[in-house]
Amino acid sequence: MLAIGKDFAPPLKLISPYFKIGVTFYLLAMVALLSFSSTFTYQEMAIAGWIHLFLLGFVMVVIFGAMAQLIPVVLEVGHAIVDLYYVILPLLGVGAVGMVLGFWVNPALLSYGGLLVLVAMIIFAIEAFATLKKAEIKTLTVKTIAVSNTFLLLGILSGFVIALGLSGAISVDVNAILKAHVYAVLGGFVLLTIMGLSLTLIPMFSLAHGFDETPIKRGFNLVAIGVGIVFVSAIFGIDSIAWVGYILTLTGIGFYIYQIYIIYKLTVRKEMDIWAKSMIFGFSSLMLSLILAILSFLPNADEVLLHTSLWFFMIGFIGFLINGHLYKIVPFLVWFERFSPLVGKEPVPMLHEMYPKEKANMMFWYSSIGTVLGGVGLLVESDYLFQSGASLLVVGAIFLYLSMSKMLSYGK
Amino acid sequence: MCNITKESAFEAISTVIDPEVGFNLVEMGLIYDAIIDDSCNVKVIMTLSTQGCPLHQMIKQWVQEAVEKLEGVGDVEVEVVWEPAWNISMADDHVKEKLSGGMTS
Repeated sequence: MLAIGKDFAPPLKLISPYFKIGVTFYLLAMVALLSFSSTFTYQEMAIAGWIHLFLLGFVMVVIFGAMAQLIPVVLEVGHAIVDLYYVILPLLGVGAVGMVLGFWVNPALLSYGGLLVLVAMIIFAIEAFATLKKAEIKTLTVKTIAVSNTFLLLGILSGFVIALGLSGAISVDVNAILKAHVYAVLGGFVLLTIMGLSLTLIPMFSLAHGFDETPIKRGFNLVAIGVGIVFVSAIFGIDSIAWVGYILTLTGIGFYIYQIYIIYKLTVRKEMDIWAKSMIFGFSSLMLSLILAILSFLPNADEVLLHTSLWFFMIGFIGFLINGHLYKIVPFLVWFERFSPLVGKEPVPMLHEMYPKEKANMMFWYSSIGTVLGGVGLLVESDYLFQSGASLLVVGAIFLYLSMSKMLSYGK
Repeated sequence: MCNITKESAFEAISTVIDPEVGFNLVEMGLIYDAIIDDSCNVKVIMTLSTQGCPLHQMIKQWVQEAVEKLEGVGDVEVEVVWEPAWNISMADDHVKEKLSGGMTS
């Protein structure tokens, strides 16, 4: 028997700043794309700065905000210390800005920004583990949260070592640790978290029932082991085992996509709202990213394949999965706070009435066409196409920002 | 003598709308039974469309409050069960039809 009452739900004033600030970082990240060309290397400080702007400022901030609300839903217990989320956001936000400026302006800022991010993430991880300890149920999503948070800790510790190295505080092999850092954070935390949460959220919103969970269990184990192998190989310089890690990770993603296909086949709700369209685009991007990643591992493959694969993974998959869910989660939070006490006393709006459909559609079309154009620009190394895509993504991000403002102020 | 029937209990519960899908709980097929004893105590057996529903407690409360509005009702208890698991075949035909394509975003 579940017991998700109002007592477990964090207040809107705690969670809404995460979404507001996360979407602001997303807009800034899309604007920053305008300053890049279609050819680059991952060692460039400017690229590292953009990746941190996107991943820390947008992805992490929104995921943390969503976790504040979803952890009690998934674990069926209240947070251990929910008020810590008031501390996490300013630390993470200021830390992200510090790190981005460190990459772009002055490397000395990296260690300060990195320290704030490190503290924010350690608080998040400790709070999450403390809440997990209270939980009695042990579903796959619970397991996912535990494993992904372990990778988060490994990722931020390795990242902080890199920050100290780049700012000159210590002497380390930055390139070796960078690979471990990227895999632990992107594959270990972001991907596993999305895999776990989507197994709860996608069937919930699509009303799919009675599906076999074997593929996601296999996918989860393969990605977790694969990322672990790549992490160990990078830290200890054992290149020969890295390939095993890559193959396991890519195979795991394949199982995840297959799981989503199974859920899609059993979906009861067929209406093409902004969430459904975003999921279709997001998972199509993930499939494309997977194919490009496999091609990039072939002998003599051009590096642009890997660039394009990462573009579709980050902007197409992560971006659309997060943004699509914001149009479900934010109206729910606002409804829960402002309208649920009025049920039975006066008419209350339905959730689908609480997001601006026109702005949402504009967000979707500008962003999706921008993602495709930008990806093609990277693939054929055309600055014109890449910049055209980036421009459309900026317009899409403006519509997302306007949608968010509208949703959060609904019924105020 | 108790005047409350299963039908009147279901009718009362049909005022409770799921805010996500926009249908009432009865037409969604989420209300399995309403057991009424001689003292007009009512026990509602229901389910939810998903086990991770964040509105679980609130929906239970809304169902209880809806039944408590019936004249002459005694104690009202709401039990949420997961067996049999809900599926779309339990919903009314017009719900199935709208969910499968007719509804706009």
